[in-house]
Amino acid sequence: MTEILVQTPPVLQGPSEKERKYDRQLRLWAASGQAALESSNILLLNSGSGTVGVETLKNLVLPGIGSFTIADDAIVHDEDLGVNFFLDESSKGKSRAQCCTDFLVELNPEVNGSWWPKSSDDQRLEQLFEATQTPFTMILYSLPIQPERLSILQEYSRQHQTPLVAVHSAGFYSYFSVNLHGAFPIVDTHPDDTATADLRLLSPWPALLDFTKEMTRDIDNLDNHLHGHLPLVVILLYYLDLWKQGHDGAYPANYSEKVAFRNAVSDAMRRDIPEGGEENFEEAVAAVMKHVVPPQLPSSLKQVFDYQPSGSDDTKSSFWIIAEAVKQFYNRHGVLPVSGGLPDMKAQSEVYIKLQNLYKDKARQDAQEVLAIVRGIAGGKDIDTAEVELFCTNARFIKLVNPAEGRTVDLAQAVEQQLANDEIAALAGPEMPLTLIPIYLALTATSHQGVATAEQILASIQDRVPAAAGNERVQKAAEEVARATGGELHNTSAVMGGMVAQEMIKIITKQYIPIENTCIFDGIESRCQVLRL
Amino acid sequence: MEEPPSSAAQTAPGTENGPSDPSKQQQSEQQENHENPPKPNPNATPGARSQIPRRDRFNHQSLGPSLNSTVKQARVLMVGAGGIGCELLKNLVLSGFGEIHIVDLDTIDLSNLNRQFLFRQEHIKKSKALVAKDAAQKFNPNVQIVAHHANIKDAHFTVSWFRDFKLVFNALDNLEARRHVNKMCLAADIPLIESGTTGFNGQVQVIKKGVTACYDCTPKETPKSFPVCTIRSTPSQPIHCIVWGKSYLLNEMFGTSEDQSVLDHSQDQENGKSMLISWEGKLTGTNQFIAHEIEELKKESDALKKIRNAVGAPDFPKLLFEKVFDADIERLRSVEDMWKSKRAPEPLKYEKLLAKTNELEGSKDSILADGQKVWSLEENLVVFKDSLERLSKRIIELKKTKDDAAPDPVIVFDKDDDDTLDFVASSANIRSTIFGIERKSRFDIKQMAGNIIPAIATTNAIVAGLCVLQSYKVLKGDYSQAKEVFLTPFGSARLMAPDRAREPSADCPVCGVFNATVTVDPAQTTLNDIVEGLLRTHLGFGEKEFVLNNEVGVLYDPDETENLPKKLVDLGIKDGSFLTVVDEDDEQPWVNVVLNIEEGALPENEKFKSSTSAQPAIPQKPKKVPQVEVNGHSAGESNGIVKIDSQPKGVKRQHTEDGGQPLKKAKTGGASSDDVIIVEDAGGAIIIGDD
Repeated sequence: MTEILVQTPPVLQGPSEKERKYDRQLRLWAASGQAALESSNILLLNSGSGTVGVETLKNLVLPGIGSFTIADDAIVHDEDLGVNFFLDESSKGKSRAQCCTDFLVELNPEVNGSWWPKSSDDQRLEQLFEATQTPFTMILYSLPIQPERLSILQEYSRQHQTPLVAVHSAGFYSYFSVNLHGAFPIVDTHPDDTATADLRLLSPWPALLDFTKEMTRDIDNLDNHLHGHLPLVVILLYYLDLWKQGHDGAYPANYSEKVAFRNAVSDAMRRDIPEGGEENFEEAVAAVMKHVVPPQLPSSLKQVFDYQPSGSDDTKSSFWIIAEAVKQFYNRHGVLPVSGGLPDMKAQSEVYIKLQNLYKDKARQDAQEVLAIVRGIAGGKDIDTAEVELFCTNARFIKLVNPAEGRTVDLAQAVEQQLANDEIAALAGPEMPLTLIPIYLALTATSHQGVATAEQILASIQDRVPAAAGNERVQKAAEEVARATGGELHNTSAVMGGMVAQEMIKIITKQYIPIENTCIFDGIESRCQVLRL
Repeated sequence: MEEPPSSAAQTAPGTENGPSDPSKQQQSEQQENHENPPKPNPNATPGARSQIPRRDRFNHQSLGPSLNSTVKQARVLMVGAGGIGCELLKNLVLSGFGEIHIVDLDTIDLSNLNRQFLFRQEHIKKSKALVAKDAAQKFNPNVQIVAHHANIKDAHFTVSWFRDFKLVFNALDNLEARRHVNKMCLAADIPLIESGTTGFNGQVQVIKKGVTACYDCTPKETPKSFPVCTIRSTPSQPIHCIVWGKSYLLNEMFGTSEDQSVLDHSQDQENGKSMLISWEGKLTGTNQFIAHEIEELKKESDALKKIRNAVGAPDFPKLLFEKVFDADIERLRSVEDMWKSKRAPEPLKYEKLLAKTNELEGSKDSILADGQKVWSLEENLVVFKDSLERLSKRIIELKKTKDDAAPDPVIVFDKDDDDTLDFVASSANIRSTIFGIERKSRFDIKQMAGNIIPAIATTNAIVAGLCVLQSYKVLKGDYSQAKEVFLTPFGSARLMAPDRAREPSADCPVCGVFNATVTVDPAQTTLNDIVEGLLRTHLGFGEKEFVLNNEVGVLYDPDETENLPKKLVDLGIKDGSFLTVVDEDDEQPWVNVVLNIEEGALPENEKFKSSTSAQPAIPQKPKKVPQVEVNGHSAGESNGIVKIDSQPKGVKRQHTEDGGQPLKKAKTGGASSDDVIIVEDAGGAIIIGDD
């Protein structure tokens, strides 16, 4: 064997270099998330003092987005060196977009970076969009921004349904907001492990019932070992059947019935044994409240079923086709496809494995049925089987972000509500944090012009939200924003760069649930608030 | 926070007063802070700005001149230059911290590059501290960066070395080093900003002796451990087989054998969790059968040592396989008592299984390339044989090249060493099959065996930024505004949850002590100088009975006096040593006194020099508050390691709020009347804000 060893040339073994480099993040968003990142193309429209956007981009380049473009017509000054890490002495007098791009691509050779504008007579944003070959996956812009530029950007983003993120950082204050342009479904929401089990105790399928019957045929005469190793699923199904016989075929429905049922299971535990009780029965008793529940349609999924995608593009996307198929499945059976997972429980190993296979087989069967429906829907021919399976497994946790597309929030109303909450908070004491909306109001007053006096800021707030201008905390926020004179504090922008990039990764990978839709950060108190604005 | 009078705001620096009048300027700066800023005066600013470097303009504006200049002068230490450390260094450099020291023992690995942005492919295997320094330096030449490629636990990083910093940042990945820095900062009374991340989660905590809770005020999760019998005889989960492959089989074949590695598990720590194999817990039943089983397992290990000698021989894989997957399993199976309530394991026949793998031999590389797939039993055998060959070749090579004097070479598990990972993964999976346990993919096994913690750039960026924001509170001495911040990435209403910094736990064994630094000449100073001169006379122990310990054991107690005439050097006490004094008083014992020993020049005829004043106020140990009787007579009960609830918190809060009296003094009246007051206070405050 050593002979062979010598002859075998060393080969490339184990995980690829890329897998090893990205190992620590693959454990969060897996290969599918990584693939989405690697095929993304991000635009940063940078303005203002220009750090927060670059900090965000750094956190996207490191995990490996496909490519990015920085659009920024600023020239590097001394001030930039003090706040932006991706510039050095040699950058002075050069294009900020170019210098930042050069430093950022050094972070990850797998990422392509480009910059714009290349010359001073090429500064119309339309020209950038016209020249772009691959459409942008997502766009980030930093404030303050020229209003004309912003409207061009918004128009492009609306036309192409490109998610748009705005971020503004000044001194210790910052906010960012996400515009997804309509409903944004997420299948892979990464629910908590403990929430995912779906045992189907009140809607068992025949194979599961047969299995239970087989195991409990002579339950009272089972020896202590076998009795003490009946899996909780079998125990509960057996006693549910008994319950039904005594209750005109009805399952325990309300709380008091469930308590009675739980007592019945508890009474069935053998206590005249050396251990004084049986672990598996204790598990079964503990599982009653959580698992003896009729199959329900979670409200988040109902929202998906009820949603009427506008426009023809939406109806064709694979998500909506699968959603339609699952809806038909649900209407046909009154239950969702079985997810297939089985939590750990006390049982003999081979019994547990059989039970596990029962759930897996049923999940596969249900997914097959959904797939057949999918194939029958227009546009469903080419949908990936794996996508259908993932949908079925996660069905109960699918989330539709931003379902109320087009419905705008009235800012004045939102502010009034926030300030009213503050009055309650003032009474409740320090445990209830005060709203951060004053920061948002003060920053948005400088959306197009970073340098403003507190009076100018308050005047702008007065115009938009008359009720807020007299508020003491709003006044303080206005003074603080005025004091920053449009300058960024690196640490505030570093924190925001992390938070914005995190939300962008969620949206690009379509994993985990992104915030809806505005996050305000107060660097003095190190806290933030998420609001729908 | 009070609004400053508007006149103060208008006399803000940089306006009419200018820097020419230092006393006035200082006054106005003290009143100013960034929460309550002076109003900008757009007309006056251009003149003011011209006096500060343009690149510092934004910091100057946002922090205000006072805090900004404190930052510029601050000398800070950053321990750890990894995920948080890279981000932190960037932030510190751009905030303009005057002098930054970096300590990190680690070298750069490929798997760091997805987030540790100061490092590149070409830096792999180089020192993190040195590369980070070089990378960051060029972005702000005004900042002095000093890198130490060293372990922070090294003896030359003494308490006095720590004391020369204004502030310490922990950016570490393991419990042991965190605890060490915590202890050193408490001894040096230097504020510490502690931080950590796991996946999307993270936190930041401000630690200041006597003011906020220290790292050890809350007990930390104990390392995960498994009883040996579960690992060796009755595995029931994949992790049991993985630990078996990693900590037992690999070590027996290529590492230090089990006996030694059990003793040496402190080395096995990563991220604060190690998998200890211990007999604890299972032996409490004093079951005869278990005792017998231990005997059998020892025999098995001895037999394995013989197989180890066959490393490199053609039949080595066969010998090993037949031993651990066949003969040992047969023996285990024959102990019928064990399998009454469990499925008995099924031994595997090497030749039979090997015959089935013939067709797979050619596809070895494609098997190895797919670490996400769960390998079949046959595929695992292919990997087992292959990794065994790779490891054998390596160990033979190591033996050939080693010095005669050097100890025998070993190969230890490293999650990023594919040879060891493949070996552990395949042997764990083969064992799982034998015991009817689910097999796992190499990807999953890597995470379980290597205690891999997911880590991403975004979380580190957020946490590092928060660290510096907290450092501003510390630099201003504004601990009442310091926060303990937790990221709550899955909370929809807010992505982080700041909490008021917690009060120190009065019974904390680490920060609930009295610290003193003693300068000695170890070749001259005797233990008697310490006991009589320092403790009894200078610190005021007088006639109290006490015990003096060092890290090793008792140096002195009333019955153990033979060390007294010895020189400190002969007792192994040197620069950087810690001594602990435990008061044995039954009635009103003082808290432990921790002496930090420093070598240094002494005035003539002096044997030691203490950092404290003569007869300082050493606090008493907190008394146990009886659960029911709030105003209880508990004086006699509290003689040492009593667990108290939140009683002293009420006391401390009261004293810190009324004008910053040192807590120690507040608690050290010593008179019995004080005790009564403390207990009464407790009655009122005990419930509030405790968890």
